[in-house]
Amino acid sequence: MAEEAKFRCLRCGHEFIAPYDKDNPQERSCPKCKSNSVRRARER
Amino acid sequence: MPEDEVRIGVFVCECGLNIAGSVDCEAVRDYAERLPGVALAVRNRYTCSDPGQEEIKKAIVEHHLNRVVVASCTPRLHEPTFRKCISDVGLNPYLLEMANIREQCSWVHLHDREAATAKAKDIVKIAVARARLLEPQVEMEVPVTKAALVIGGGVAGIQAALDLADAGHQVYLVEKEPSIGGKMAQLNKTFPTMDCSI
Amino acid sequence: MMDVGRHPRIKLLAYSEVEEVSGYVGNFKVKVRKKARYVDEEECTACGDCVEVCPVIRPDEYQMGLSSRRAIYIPFPQGVPSSYIINIEECLGVQPIACGKCAEKCDKGCIDFDMKDQIVELEVGTIIVAVGMEVYDPTPLDEYGYTRFENVITTLEFERLIDSGGPLEGHFARPTDGKMLKRIGFIQCVGSRAERRGNPYCSNICCMNTVKDSLLLRDHYPEIDITVFYLDMRAFGKGFEDLYKRSKDAGVRYVRGLPGEVKEDPQTRNLLVTVENTTACRLEEHELDMLVLSVGLEPREDSKTIQQLLSLSRTTDGFFLESHPKLKPVDTSTRGVFLAGCAEGPKDIKESVTQASAAAARAQIILNQDKIPIEAITPIIDYDLCNFCGRCARVCPYGAIVDVDPKRKVPPRVIEAACAGCGTCSAECPVGAITQRHFGDEQIFAQLEAMLGERPEEKIVVFACHWCSYAGGDMAGVSRLQYPPSARVIRTMCSGRTGERFILRAFTLGAPIVLVSGCHFADCHYINANRWTQRRVERLWDRLERASIRPERLQLEWISAAEGQKFARTMRELEEMRKKVTPEEIEYTKQVLAEKV
Repeated sequence: MAEEAKFRCLRCGHEFIAPYDKDNPQERSCPKCKSNSVRRARER
Repeated sequence: MPEDEVRIGVFVCECGLNIAGSVDCEAVRDYAERLPGVALAVRNRYTCSDPGQEEIKKAIVEHHLNRVVVASCTPRLHEPTFRKCISDVGLNPYLLEMANIREQCSWVHLHDREAATAKAKDIVKIAVARARLLEPQVEMEVPVTKAALVIGGGVAGIQAALDLADAGHQVYLVEKEPSIGGKMAQLNKTFPTMDCSI
Repeated sequence: MMDVGRHPRIKLLAYSEVEEVSGYVGNFKVKVRKKARYVDEEECTACGDCVEVCPVIRPDEYQMGLSSRRAIYIPFPQGVPSSYIINIEECLGVQPIACGKCAEKCDKGCIDFDMKDQIVELEVGTIIVAVGMEVYDPTPLDEYGYTRFENVITTLEFERLIDSGGPLEGHFARPTDGKMLKRIGFIQCVGSRAERRGNPYCSNICCMNTVKDSLLLRDHYPEIDITVFYLDMRAFGKGFEDLYKRSKDAGVRYVRGLPGEVKEDPQTRNLLVTVENTTACRLEEHELDMLVLSVGLEPREDSKTIQQLLSLSRTTDGFFLESHPKLKPVDTSTRGVFLAGCAEGPKDIKESVTQASAAAARAQIILNQDKIPIEAITPIIDYDLCNFCGRCARVCPYGAIVDVDPKRKVPPRVIEAACAGCGTCSAECPVGAITQRHFGDEQIFAQLEAMLGERPEEKIVVFACHWCSYAGGDMAGVSRLQYPPSARVIRTMCSGRTGERFILRAFTLGAPIVLVSGCHFADCHYINANRWTQRRVERLWDRLERASIRPERLQLEWISAAEGQKFARTMRELEEMRKKVTPEEIEYTKQVLAEKV
């Protein structure tokens, strides 16, 4: 099953949820600004 | 002069008005001349033209240049041209560096001559810094097995195999199905000339 | 086809599959599985005696299942090699031999139930990938009723029905009653140019195929009324427009609009097609005796296997990616491997043949040389620093680093001819023991020092890969897209070369913003080296954050060679970000990182 994770765009700051598979890196882009500087948000 | 002294020749191309239109090429040349390791800086109208290339060759010989920086267009366009040019007079082709002051400078800063010129100087400075550390490289050569494999025996694979075989090469044609022919063999007539497929 | 069978220099391995490819340009080693045919293809004369006695009847794939064949069969009469084959899954059984009638009947004794698969090992200098395509299966498009109504067929089924070598021996009729028909319809773009179902791209051949079919019908059966439902008729090739005009002049009706629904009259088995005619702006209903779905083309299902065997790339639509769309249209990212035909994208026969000849010519450039040079951009390993961890070998997309063994402390060895020069090994080496020829660490450091020597706070450091993002930068220039003059670009062959040490050095030298850029995932010219780039940037984001440096200052962007717009937009956006980086922040970063290094 595809897990989901929270991501944050380091360009525009937009946060979103997307499928995430640790072993299978995906090309990601921010749904708002289209940047690829998308970082997985860490739970703190 | 010492054997290991770095002697860089910088060739600043105006590319007609493509570069000179928004970059002060003389200012860039003057700046380049004073960079460490630079023995000579020249401005050309078109460095890639025959006279431009001749000037590089002449300068390498006359000024004992051992590195060349061409400040012109993208290396994706003329790196092979200038590599060949310098190797014609015995310089290792890997001792060339290109400073892209056209696609990534003059053309994208058309309306700010001052900023474009400053950036072009910086780009040349970066290229010269890299050029100082360039080393001659020897390309390894590998032998070639004189045979080809064609995967797929449809119309494309058949044609490729026949061309190669007719040219005198051994060809292995691998087809997954029991017969070659592919999808084409299933067609009745083919456009636009309405002839048979098989 | 016959020429291939006869040619003294072509060794045909039919019913065979490539299982393993190793080596590199000029020196590929290939393992091919030649599957057992159970009929000796050299001896078989295709007399057909065996077929008459075979009791097993199965649908004939060549005839699209519209007629039948036996378990021992020849795919089609002109097949090459001209030899029968037993489908062993369908055969009544060979262990023990349950039937064996064919073997009894064959006078020449060609049939061998003990035949086994063979592994053939080949050595070749170049490889041409001409694996072709699949035809779209319209089953999911239920509104056209392909699975429900027998008189709805695909174009390939139509080809068989009208062919003199087909199941009806050229006496065209409709499937349900075997009668001649009066009205036929064609629906275009089935499975093509559809964002939601099917494929988004144009399949390139279907318009002209329908035009051809309409003329075939006109020539043989002038009384049949023909209607074509289309979105756009694309008749772009040489002689195409002429053929299209001939079809229209011959009275074929072209209706712009794709049917929304197809129903069947249960009595007559006729088809009722509802369509919005968008040129006449009205809803129309057409009653037809037969409907042909003009199906598009798709990448082969086994494309992924071929992709992995040969380290190729594919575009998002699944077809193989060429090295350059204009300048190297038949080359691939693996040197010595070329593309021909529909493997690269949907195309017609003429284009396939043209491309095949081009691929053959490109291959000959290699084959006609005794030796070929390899670009001197391979890694250099410092064996004094190496700790034998083996990371370099793990990240190499080409398997070009071998021998390394952490347990037995065996150092890595580079197979230079297999290396393509991405530099990922160098970037990933945890002890900095690997550098790259012509793109050395010292050279990259020198570039950084030169660009950040004066007023570093005004600069944006951009690492760009030769093939895509740097080319995207060039495209911005060619398109005269204007952006702020703050970017300073360092070109490497692949973003995989951009090691942490370069990025950290840039920040230590006072860079406000650093951009790492490369090819989109599907476009990576080094198979998957840019996956390592992404992982590395993600690691650095964490590391920067732990050091209380805003991770936003390290940016990542995938920019293709065509995306000049994206390059320029990114530079504008980064300039806005740059302005917000404070001198205090830069100073703090320099101090923190200087302490760590």
